[in-house]
Amino acid sequence: MKIAVTKEALLEGLQRIQNVVSNRATLPVLTNALLETTDTGLQLTTTDLEVGIRCTIPAKVQKPGSTTLPARRLAAIVRELPSSEITIEVDGENIATIRCGASFFKIYGLPKTEFPEFPIAGEQTAITLKQSELKDGLRKTSYAISSDETRYVLNGILFSLADNKMTLVATDGRRLALFDTDVEFPKSHERDFILPTKAVTELQRLLGEEGEVTISTSENFAFFELSGTFLSSKLVEGNYPNYRQVVPGEAKERIALERDAFLNCVRRVSLLSSDKTSSVRLNFTRDNLDITANTPEVGEAKESLTIKYRGKDLSIAFNPEFLMDPFRNLANEEVYLELIDEMSPGVLKINTPFLYVIMPMRVSV
Amino acid sequence: MKVIHLDMDCFYAAVEMRERPDLANLPLAVGGGSRRGVVTTCNYEARKYGVRSAMPGFLARERCPQLVFLPVRFDLYRAESTKIRNILHRYTPLVEPLSLDEAYLDVSASDRYAWDIAKEIRKSICDETGLTASAGIAPNKMLAKIASDWRKPNGQFAITPDQVEGFMKDLPLRKIWGIGPKSAERFAGKGIQTCGDLQKLSLPELVRQMGKWGEELYHLCRGRDDRAVEPNRIRKSLSTEQTYLENLTSAAQCERAMEDLVSDLLADIQMSAADRRIHKAFVKIKFADFSRTTREGIHPSPDFETFRTLLLEAWKRKAHPIRLLGAGVRFAEEAREFEDAQQWLDF
Repeated sequence: MKIAVTKEALLEGLQRIQNVVSNRATLPVLTNALLETTDTGLQLTTTDLEVGIRCTIPAKVQKPGSTTLPARRLAAIVRELPSSEITIEVDGENIATIRCGASFFKIYGLPKTEFPEFPIAGEQTAITLKQSELKDGLRKTSYAISSDETRYVLNGILFSLADNKMTLVATDGRRLALFDTDVEFPKSHERDFILPTKAVTELQRLLGEEGEVTISTSENFAFFELSGTFLSSKLVEGNYPNYRQVVPGEAKERIALERDAFLNCVRRVSLLSSDKTSSVRLNFTRDNLDITANTPEVGEAKESLTIKYRGKDLSIAFNPEFLMDPFRNLANEEVYLELIDEMSPGVLKINTPFLYVIMPMRVSV
Repeated sequence: MKVIHLDMDCFYAAVEMRERPDLANLPLAVGGGSRRGVVTTCNYEARKYGVRSAMPGFLARERCPQLVFLPVRFDLYRAESTKIRNILHRYTPLVEPLSLDEAYLDVSASDRYAWDIAKEIRKSICDETGLTASAGIAPNKMLAKIASDWRKPNGQFAITPDQVEGFMKDLPLRKIWGIGPKSAERFAGKGIQTCGDLQKLSLPELVRQMGKWGEELYHLCRGRDDRAVEPNRIRKSLSTEQTYLENLTSAAQCERAMEDLVSDLLADIQMSAADRRIHKAFVKIKFADFSRTTREGIHPSPDFETFRTLLLEAWKRKAHPIRLLGAGVRFAEEAREFEDAQQWLDF
């Protein structure tokens, strides 16, 4: 195989795919990227057997062929090369010679036959939406994913496709984030699947503000195609809990909060929430919100915010991190907090389809 | 790494035999006192008749009519277990207890031969408690555990790093942790009987067939296991499951199967986690089409009725033949203050 490629194109391609390669080399070929020539360029693929990414970059193919080369090392070399013109030549032993100006590198690769096969997308169930929309949905939900491996079904985002809607849900059992958006697709494409955390992270990195993304699934895999890049991911097996049953019914109080002001107050007050219970308390009185925290033998903090509030006095405690997470990831200036009483879940909403359910803490101070 | 797996020989039965020398030479079993009592442990005399642990009491009596069936006395076993653990701690702080009668020791830091340490530990246990133990010595946890079974009872066996390859080659697949009778049967159907046979499958091939577990198997069947001995490992959950040779098709069948599982589970909890606070109970189902579902609920003291309800709720979701049932509990976190204060969504 022999190709000529620009530094910019190769580096961009490698950056798209290299995050997937495993650092622990259970199977040496998994630390490598698969390089294959196509009619118009060079196709790059990486996989860790769970998540795979594939993209094609423009290249002049002088001699078609394929090999696998250490992905991170290759990216590190390309990044440092002195000029834009790079040629890569691979011999029958999978030894690659990289030339660029006066620079010369020889690196050892592994044959393509050792590289796992890339799963094939299920064309018939494809749905298409704007990349920006999916990016927005993932940003608004992914922080609530559980990292507790004993509850593996929660280690990812639920994609629920039904009634011309795509709903994304993430929860760790203490709070739950839900986003939905209208997408047109036939009834036959309806399905629920759980996309694992690693794929969510990679997808967020790949998604841009422009263009579309096509999502399709097979029995055990989901596929995302965006701007010429493919991401395939194994799905989390199992049933996602029935998230609808934890969304509380009608609220007693609906309080408008100014995002930045509220976030800053909680952040400052949380400096004095105790490590053990880690809670901040919200005290609602007429047109006022006091946010307080204290740690025995350390000290206490209080912030006051002027709000519109005409309900009866109410005091409720939350984990400050759980409270701040959605505020950090929402762009809206105004966020609404709905409350029933101090033992019932609180709900955060904005004026577009999004919902965040947060369980209070039972603390006396 | 130098790991010793220490395993007491039919521990509960041995303690009873020591307490009751008059029964020492009779076939003896210790088991649950409940209606459907199972054999928890039995002595070697009873094993000659085909009595095995986890066997229903009636079947054990059928095989050995003169079997002496004694109720379990956990307080007594726990006291002995503490004595034994104290002995282990004289040799290394890296002791990971698996249950009352089993533990891993990491003795890599010692400049003595692990073989001699194991021998000395077994002698101390015997001198101080009158009980015998077997030991496996190997470069990792998995091999140490297999080795402790090799010269049982009252013996020890070592696998040195240069013997691993040869040892694994002929080792029946069934000896690998996680390979149950059903998986062994499935592999046997493909002509794979030993770890050596399995070694012929490439990693991508195994992963294609078994997913993530395939990746683990790839290493295990080569005798590789990089898990560390964790002295403070806190068990997050305890569960038991069973794959059925014939699918369960009716609610009644499922309930009967669940009853067995639950009595095993409750016995396990008694044995290895009697001091832990339970937070949740869960039921796991694998249907004949390999789809899975779980159902869990907050139950600080689950009983058969708890699991029966969870089972029926889970089964209703699909009402499909079942190939595997599991029942388990999740323990409350140790950081109690926080966990108690934070409320959970009610799924």
